[in-house]
This record gives sequence, C-alpha cells and structure tokens, in this order.
Amino acid sequence: MTNLFKTMEINVGPQHPSTHGVLRLILELDGEIIKSCKPVVGYLHRGIEKMAENRSYLQYLPIVDRIDYLGGFFNSYAYCDCIEHLAEIDVPDKAKYIRVLCMELNRIASHLLWLGTFMLDLGASSPLFYCFRDRERILHIFEALTGQRMMYNYFTFGGVRFDIPSDIIDKISVFIEDMPECINDYENIITDNPIFVSRCKSKGILTKKNALQYSITGPNLRASGVNLDFRKSNPYLVYDRLNFDVSSDISGDAFSRYKVRIFELHSSLKIVEQCISFIKNSSDEFLNKSVKPVMLNIDNAEYTSSVESPRGLMSCTVMAGGKNPYRVKWRTGSYYAVQVLPELLINAELADLMAIFGSLDVILPEVDK
Amino acid sequence: MIKKIYKSILAIIIGHITVLKHAFKKRVTLEYPEVKPLLNDKFRGEHLFDINKCKACGMCQKVCPANAITIIKDENGLNEYSIDYKKCIFCGNCYYYCNFNAIMPSSNFELACSSKESLVITFKKAEEA
Amino acid sequence: MNYLLSIFIDFFANFGIPKEVVYIIFPIIPFCIVAAALILVVLVLVLVERKILALFTQRKGPNRVGFCGILQTVADAVKLLCKENIEPNVTDRILFSLAPIIAFVPVMVCWGIIPFSSEFDFISISVSSLLFAVIAVIPVIGVILAGYSSNNKYSLIGSVRSAVQVISYELPIMFVILSVSILASSLNIKDIILSQTSMYQVCGWYIFPCFLGFVILFVSSLAELNRCPFDLPEAESELVAGYNTEYSGMRFALFFLGEYAMLFVSSAFITALFFGGFLSPFGFYISEKIFNNNVLAQIGIYFEQAFWFFIKSFLIVFLIMWVRAVLPRLKSSDLLKFSWRILLPLSILNFIYICLFKYIVMIGGLK
Repeated sequence: MTNLFKTMEINVGPQHPSTHGVLRLILELDGEIIKSCKPVVGYLHRGIEKMAENRSYLQYLPIVDRIDYLGGFFNSYAYCDCIEHLAEIDVPDKAKYIRVLCMELNRIASHLLWLGTFMLDLGASSPLFYCFRDRERILHIFEALTGQRMMYNYFTFGGVRFDIPSDIIDKISVFIEDMPECINDYENIITDNPIFVSRCKSKGILTKKNALQYSITGPNLRASGVNLDFRKSNPYLVYDRLNFDVSSDISGDAFSRYKVRIFELHSSLKIVEQCISFIKNSSDEFLNKSVKPVMLNIDNAEYTSSVESPRGLMSCTVMAGGKNPYRVKWRTGSYYAVQVLPELLINAELADLMAIFGSLDVILPEVDK
Repeated sequence: MIKKIYKSILAIIIGHITVLKHAFKKRVTLEYPEVKPLLNDKFRGEHLFDINKCKACGMCQKVCPANAITIIKDENGLNEYSIDYKKCIFCGNCYYYCNFNAIMPSSNFELACSSKESLVITFKKAEEA
Repeated sequence: MNYLLSIFIDFFANFGIPKEVVYIIFPIIPFCIVAAALILVVLVLVLVERKILALFTQRKGPNRVGFCGILQTVADAVKLLCKENIEPNVTDRILFSLAPIIAFVPVMVCWGIIPFSSEFDFISISVSSLLFAVIAVIPVIGVILAGYSSNNKYSLIGSVRSAVQVISYELPIMFVILSVSILASSLNIKDIILSQTSMYQVCGWYIFPCFLGFVILFVSSLAELNRCPFDLPEAESELVAGYNTEYSGMRFALFFLGEYAMLFVSSAFITALFFGGFLSPFGFYISEKIFNNNVLAQIGIYFEQAFWFFIKSFLIVFLIMWVRAVLPRLKSSDLLKFSWRILLPLSILNFIYICLFKYIVMIGGLK
C-alpha cells in the first residue's frame, strides 16, 4: 500500500533532447506533478574565468565569444568595455554605433533561436525552421562582416576590427525591411493559438518579489513587472541617443515572457535602423588606431562593465595585473534563471517543464562558463 | 464564450494558412557537398602561409589564445612554421596582428581528415638550390 | 469477393483441383495483398510525411537516395532491419518482445476490414465498422506493455499517457460511427460507402449532413494515432521517445510500421465514412467506357475504385500532416478536458442531430 503513494524520481538530462545542452534536473514526480526539482549544473564548465589568468588581454579576447555562443557580441563588448576603461582608450562614435548595430542584430538572432527551440519544445515544428531561416540571414551578414558566423572576434580594444562595407549595410536594410513580415508570420502561427495559450498562460509564474530576490534580469524580469533595462537605466555606448521602447508585462508567466521577447525583436529592429542611418552618414574612424593591443599593460585596477544581453544582465569584472588579467569574473543572466527553476516548477506538471524552462531562455554554456 | 471559441478556431485556421503560404516560397536548402556556401574573403578558414614573407618575429605566437603556432628558428632565420589545427580556434588573431601579411585567411573550411598527425600543418623553408 | 472467388474456382478447376482446396487456400491471397500493400503504403507514407513537412518549412526534404530521395525510406528500413536488437538487462523479456507484435498485428486486421473496392473487402461482416473501432484500440495494449516492460520511467509515463488518451477518445469515435451508421442504416463499411451513392455524385457524401461528425472523428483519430497535436506518448521534448525509448532494430521497426499503417487505415476509415470511400467523385468509371468486355471492365472498375480510395485517403493523410506542421502539443490534462468537456458533448449533440435529420428525411421521403 505504501508503494502506491511513493513519488518517482526522474532524471532529466544531461543528455535529454530539450535541456538545450547539458542541464541536469532531478525531478521528483507524483504522477505527472513535479514535487521538487534540483538542477545540477557544471557539465559544460570550461574554466573560462581561469583561462584569463595566464593569457594576455588580447589573447583572452577571442575566448570571450564562447561564453554565450548565441550572443558573442555581448560578451566581447563587456570585456572590451572593461579594458577600454582600465587602459583609458577612447572609442570613436562610429565604432560605438557599429557595436550597437552588431549587438542588436545579435539580439534578434538570439531571440529567434529561442523562439524556434521554445516552439519545438512545445511540439510545433515549423516555427523552428522559419526562425532558423531568418537567423541564417543575420549570420550571413555577420560572416560577411566579421569573418565567422558565431565566434566573431570583431570588437577590439578601441573600436571594431573592420569598417562596415556599404554592401553589408544594404543587406542589413533589406533584412530589417523583410523582418516585420516574418515576425508577423510567427505571431500568426503562435500567439493566438489556443493550445499555445493554454500551455503558457499562467504557467511558471515568476512573481516580482521572487524575480528580484533571485536577481533575475533581462526579459524574464521585465515580464514580471519590473521595467528594468540596462540600455535605458544605465545607458552604455550610444543608447541614450537612440529612440527605442522597452516592453514589460505584469503577469510574469511563460506567455508574458514570450510577449516581451517578441516585442524586443521589434524594438531591436528599430535600433538597427537608427544605427544604419548614422553609420551611412558618418565619416568617423571605426578604430582608435593609437591603441597597441598586443603590448597592453595595465596597472592594478578593477572595473566592472555591464551589458543588457538577450538573457539579462551580463557583467564582466576585470582585475588588471600588469600584462595579463589578475582575475576575471563573469556574471551571466542564465545562471540566475536556472536557480529560480525549482521555485517555478513546484506543483507544475511534467509537460509544463518544457514550457517553463523553455520560456526562461537558458543557455547552458553561459551557466557553466 | 462563443466569441472565445470562434477566436481560437480562427487562430488555428490562420496558423494553417500561414504555414501553407510557406509551401509556395523558394526552398532554402543548400545541397552541401555539391553546392558550397558562398563565403567572402574575410572568412576565417584554413590559413594561407607565405614562408618567404615571414620574418619569424613571433607576433602570431604572442597573440594566439590557444598556443597553436610553433616557430622553429635557426641561424638563417625561420626554419619551420607549424599550425596545430587540433588547438586552433580560428579566431584570426594571427593574421590580424601579422605585420608582414605572411599569414592570411582562406575560405577553405573543409578541414576534416582521418588522422591526428595531418592536423598539424608544417611549412618548411625550401632548400636553397 | 464472391465474384473473385468464382473466377478463382473456375481457374483452378481447369487444373483439376477440387473446390474445397481452393476455399482453404483462397484467404492466403488477400493476406498477401494486404501485407504487401501495407508495407508499400508505409514506405510511401514516411517519405510523403518528410516531403510534406519539408514543403511547409521551405526545405527540400530527403533528396539523396534514388531520384529525389524516393528510395530514402527503403534505405531506412534496410538499416533498421540490419540493426541489433538491443534489450536492456532488467526488462520483462517476454512482454518486451511481445509488445511490438501486439502493437502491429491488429493493424493488419484493420487493413482487412477496409473495403478498398467494391469486391475487395476481405473481412466482411455486418458490423465491420464497430469491429474496426474495437480492433483499432488493441495496439494501445502493445504500447502499454512496451512502457511497462522496458523498465524505463520515460517509457512508463508515455504508455500511461497513451492509455489515458485512448480511453477518453474512444467514446466520441463510437458516437460518430453510430451517427454515420444511422444515416446509412447499416454498420457494414461497404454498405455505408454504397449508401453514399447519389444522383448528385459528391453531394451524397456524408460529410455534408455530418460535417461536425467528421471534425470529431478527425480530431479523435489524431488522438488515437498519437499524432500531433496529441503526440503526448512520444513527446520527444519531454519523454525522450516515449514508450519506445528502449526499443531498437526490428522491434522498433514494428512499432513504427504499425503506427504509420494505422495512420493510413484511419484516414481510409474516415474516407469510407464521410467521403464516399471507393466511389468515384464523378459518378462514372473510365474503364466502363473503354472496355466493352464485361470481365475487363469489371476488373478495371475495381482498380479505379481502389485508386479513388487511395487518393481520398492520401488527402486526409495530407491534412493530418498539415496539422502536424502547425500545432504545438497539448498537455495531458488539457487533452482530457478537451475530450470530456468538448468533444464528447459535441459528439452526443451530433448524434441527436443526425437522428433528427434521418427522421425528417425519412418522413419527407427525400431520398
């Protein structure tokens, strides 16, 4: 008789189709109801923070792209920003605009991948392919601009590595013209679909208090009713000169997280448009040529830069120690999203796991670093 | 209630029509081995190395994050230059910081091979006739 | 069937083989036809599904093996058959081997029930539509056994979901079958099809009086077939592969075969009930006009009827695949709610409406 009321322990991951890499969740199930959840992270730990300590500032720069492989530009920028502050390097205006342009396109690419995989987790297959099709266009632009599709190594101390050619600007303008229609297509398939709504509405509610206590940032926090965007509250680069909206929602469920991200696609497109119009008319330098990155030598000093990445606040702390960093610390948004998972999953159904976990947009390399 | 049911049925139908619309669009599949992706000249693939330009200054070694480059010098200057593709992460630092354009990117990305040894590519100075 | 049998008896009588022997060996022929058609249809279906999904997502789909990839599924099947049958240590061995067979064999029987043309109904009994509905449930027992015996938690959850799903979607299916049989005044599938002949050709199909019934049957069939959006038992993002997680090689192939064969049989069943089955949508057959010879014309008509049956069934299959490309998966609790709160009351309403309709038609003597 006692066996009947026993709960079942089930191990999801680290090799499970929907854990987006190598997250392991130990779930305690009562029927299909999740009674407790214990995330186990660290299967993708590459020691990225430690790697900095025996490399020069420049040698560490390409490695940084690999922290969050879907948002390489954000990592790069956070690190470059640190070094630029520590070594007191000026960045020309055009370089700043190019950086914003790249980062916003990167944000679109990242959100598209999230949307596709989220829908695949929920069981709809075709949005995945449409999202990848559009993401592919962004990656082609990046490849033409930087030389590689994901590990860009494009930002450097004092600017960016290459100027942005006019044919790429044309490509980007065509892309941002086409994109609203594509987003409209996704919304037609997804947003009002009763199955999608029933799986996401009021599932995995992240309350304002919880979100703040677990220091969730980014779209997840904005979906819980806190209108905090570091592009607005702490404008780095040229965000104070750009006109864009930040969306927030109050319900904090999976559906509002979806809504916020869809809105962000639109606002990123708007920013890209403004950047293009500046870059076209600017005759500025794209790189501060006076910097000698190879020989960079910074005295003991410390600086923390923060970036609004697609998955929340990404901050990089560099403690300089002469020719190489003494210590580098990365703070990434996904890590905190994994921490809050047990809170959200209690008393949810097993089928809700995918809707909740997917909606948080967790990228495992970013968690494990 | 009826309005809600009507709305959800409508949403499902619109979704189906949207998907059907894509059936008449251009295919995006690239049949890879026959059709190669279009890569531009910036693409960071296999390295092209010009041994006559190289002055063995060691800059590429210094900026390489993965220590993939080995330079062996003798009394005449450069003797042997090798790139270890097991270690290389294709970041491009070596050609971005080469002062003599001795090492350049190429768009060859098909580096798969069947032995570990052939992943280390060695350039030797030609014997002077 | 009797017509074919008489041809057969005559043919063998020429060689001096007695009638009784022919009676015994005759069922082998339909069995071979059914088995061959089943394998062929499954091979085609898997390819068609991949091609259709590719079509909807701007891809090319399989295009390597054979011309435009037509031999892709053959290659896949050969690969599956050559693979080792891996069996985990702690399984219930007998049930583990039995489950794929139980899941597959009833599908063959279902194939026999469907009359693909007016003489090719191999299992012809007066309540064949009910028999179909009953036998179509048996594969689920195989699924449950598979989940239970593989000693895997994912498999177990998948199979329990499957059981729950079938129980809740069987009732609406029965009500729809009943309402159609009231329209046709028969429970025999062949009679149901034949009663859809009308002087206005297509207008005689039961889709027109009973559209609601078609929708209910379609949705319930999706649930019974474990097709998207009801593919909970094998939801790959939650349960790895559901009930067949531990299966490989030939046993997995049997599950796979059974699933796709059932997909086709169910669409054939929907076609029979609502789209006039093997009836030509134009009301005449070409071979009638071409061949004056009576026997040739008769055989030509059979093939033409089978052709129409397959075309209509494939259209239903296309619809099922189209749905798969669009909709996300339901949750198991929503699935039950949908079945008991919406589908079942609707099917009862449909049943009552059909009864009234039939009564009025009979009173008015319209037909």
